[in-house]
Amino acid sequence: MQLRLRKHWSRLACAAAVVGAMGAGAPQALADVIKIGAPLALTGGLADEGKKQKIAYDMWLERVNAAGGIKVGDTMMPVELVVYDYQTDGKRAGQLTEKLITSDKVNFITAPFGSGHTKIAAGVAERYGVPIMASVASSESVYDQGFQNLFGTLAPNTGLTDNMLKLFKAKMPDTKTVAVLGREDVFPNAMAKALVEGAPNFGYSVVYDQRYSVGTLDHSATLSAIKAANADWIYVTGYTQDLILLRKQMADLGLTAKIVTMITGPAYKEFVDALGPLADGVNSASWWHHATTYQSSDVFGSTKAFYDAFVAREGSDPDYVHASSAAALVALQAAIENAGSIDPDKVRAALRDVSITTFYGPIDFGANGMNGGRDLPIIQVQDGTVVVLFPEAIKQAELKAF
Amino acid sequence: MDVQTLLNGLVLGGLYACIAVGFSLVWGVLNIINMLHGSFIILGAYLAFFAHAAFGAHPFLSLPFIAAALFGLGYVIQRGVINRVVSSPVLITLVLTFGLDMILYNAMVLGFSATPRRLALDMGRIDILGATLPLDRIAAMALAVALTAMLFQVLRGSRIGRAIVAVRMDRDAAALMGVRVPQIYAITFGIGACMAGAAGSLMSVVFPFSPAMTGLFLGKAFIVCVIGGLGSVPGALVGGLALGLIESMAGALIGPQEAVLAGFVVMLALLIFKPTGLLGKAGYE
Repeated sequence: MQLRLRKHWSRLACAAAVVGAMGAGAPQALADVIKIGAPLALTGGLADEGKKQKIAYDMWLERVNAAGGIKVGDTMMPVELVVYDYQTDGKRAGQLTEKLITSDKVNFITAPFGSGHTKIAAGVAERYGVPIMASVASSESVYDQGFQNLFGTLAPNTGLTDNMLKLFKAKMPDTKTVAVLGREDVFPNAMAKALVEGAPNFGYSVVYDQRYSVGTLDHSATLSAIKAANADWIYVTGYTQDLILLRKQMADLGLTAKIVTMITGPAYKEFVDALGPLADGVNSASWWHHATTYQSSDVFGSTKAFYDAFVAREGSDPDYVHASSAAALVALQAAIENAGSIDPDKVRAALRDVSITTFYGPIDFGANGMNGGRDLPIIQVQDGTVVVLFPEAIKQAELKAF
Repeated sequence: MDVQTLLNGLVLGGLYACIAVGFSLVWGVLNIINMLHGSFIILGAYLAFFAHAAFGAHPFLSLPFIAAALFGLGYVIQRGVINRVVSSPVLITLVLTFGLDMILYNAMVLGFSATPRRLALDMGRIDILGATLPLDRIAAMALAVALTAMLFQVLRGSRIGRAIVAVRMDRDAAALMGVRVPQIYAITFGIGACMAGAAGSLMSVVFPFSPAMTGLFLGKAFIVCVIGGLGSVPGALVGGLALGLIESMAGALIGPQEAVLAGFVVMLALLIFKPTGLLGKAGYE
């Protein structure tokens, strides 16, 4: 009897929950706070990267709210950031994006870290028509899905590789062959493909082209094969931990070349710190470097002001993840101000028209929602420090042979 | 196949054996799939890292202390927590160790951050038979095999070792013979953790590590156990060497993309055709 009663109760509770959820789906009155939802990888494998996004968001948020909020029409609306930890689990990132939209009623969303997780969250945001700002997704395979609500601040991968090919051929004309090794994952794979496709246009022939699977603990066999190919240029893509291991194993096997590129190793301080002297000579492309000198009318004011504020706050140099993440919210803010509304349709339309120079560089979303290409920096570790080789305007040093 | 590929595989295999032997012992004797094993290895690696940072101790020297510390941790966990449910179906202990692993893993992320660390102790390399091999790997592999051999000797020659083997063969009969089974369980789990800690300090010399790698090591331990056979030290050694050679050869012959896959394919094939593994005896699993 008691059991049956309990069954009834649970059924009643279910019904109540369904009714409640239906009620929650009804249109709500205009909020007086702008809510931005942020699913972040604060624990798990990408915890460091997730924390970088959070620092950048917080820096932006403090400045915006100190100024009274974002100007929407005639009123200033303060901003609230709703953060959830998706624990580096793509599936959970999707669930939390849904929760942010349906239960926290956020007006806008920021995407999680990396192309793979961004794609998942963007799919959810698209279903609900909520604009989503991606700060760390650069693979075009994320943007070619016909999403109307996805806007990304990183430029396409091909922009990175073409500049590299051009620069290296100009500085070291005697380099002719390149060996390509990439991690079988969305972004590293795209970067490897972009180089393989671009190489012949600049007079390079690809003598080795392979992918290693996620979870590879040892690269001896692969690196032995690359050694046998005897390439002038070794080009590797992956994430920091793979790249540290690969560089160490290259040294173990005595494998070297005139040019060694590791995408995007040197863009991360962790890479240089962990490798020490072994990092010397390794180059990479990056989406941003603090040596750039943009002046802007956003909450940061200029690249230098952003850099100084960051160093004062964190005690270390910002990398492209920090800058791009803050820039994504700067672009959203500009769109809301231009739209004079927080209506998703109006802001989405305004995001398409955004064309501004920020502390991070120009932001102008293309038809697929991706920020337009520009001269992206090429960097190299020289004597333990990261220097800019390209573009000319901010060059700090010449390319050194590895 | 060239000498380089063969030697790469053997060196890697020796490390795999050391990763797996403790896991295999716990699975074989306690019938517990210890999901904590990967985290124990990483914890060992971090202890070696910090011992080096604080006291300048080489991981090969701090290894006995780290192994002892992990033995204590493993003993306490088994005695205090797992022993309460040890005779429940395997799923219960699996869920329990899975939960404990989540706690330990996230504690490590909080305490040590997810930034990959590396011990910069590059010891140079030597040329053997036309192949180039790094000295640190060879030393780590030699130590790994020595530790595995030592464990084998302990299980064969000592009273505790014989008691562990007796419990593995027949828990009830062992109890009737006066073996204190809960105590043996705790010691066995402690030895498993101790081997993981020792493996971790060896790994810290060879691989960059972060808490994110716990699953990777656990996965390798799993495959090695299935290939070699559960619960026996020679099984773990043979399984480890086999996996190292398979991955190395697949990487050289088919390409790196399929190297990890090859290990899983062999594991599946063995599960179908010889579920006891290469050296396992039926009835022990």
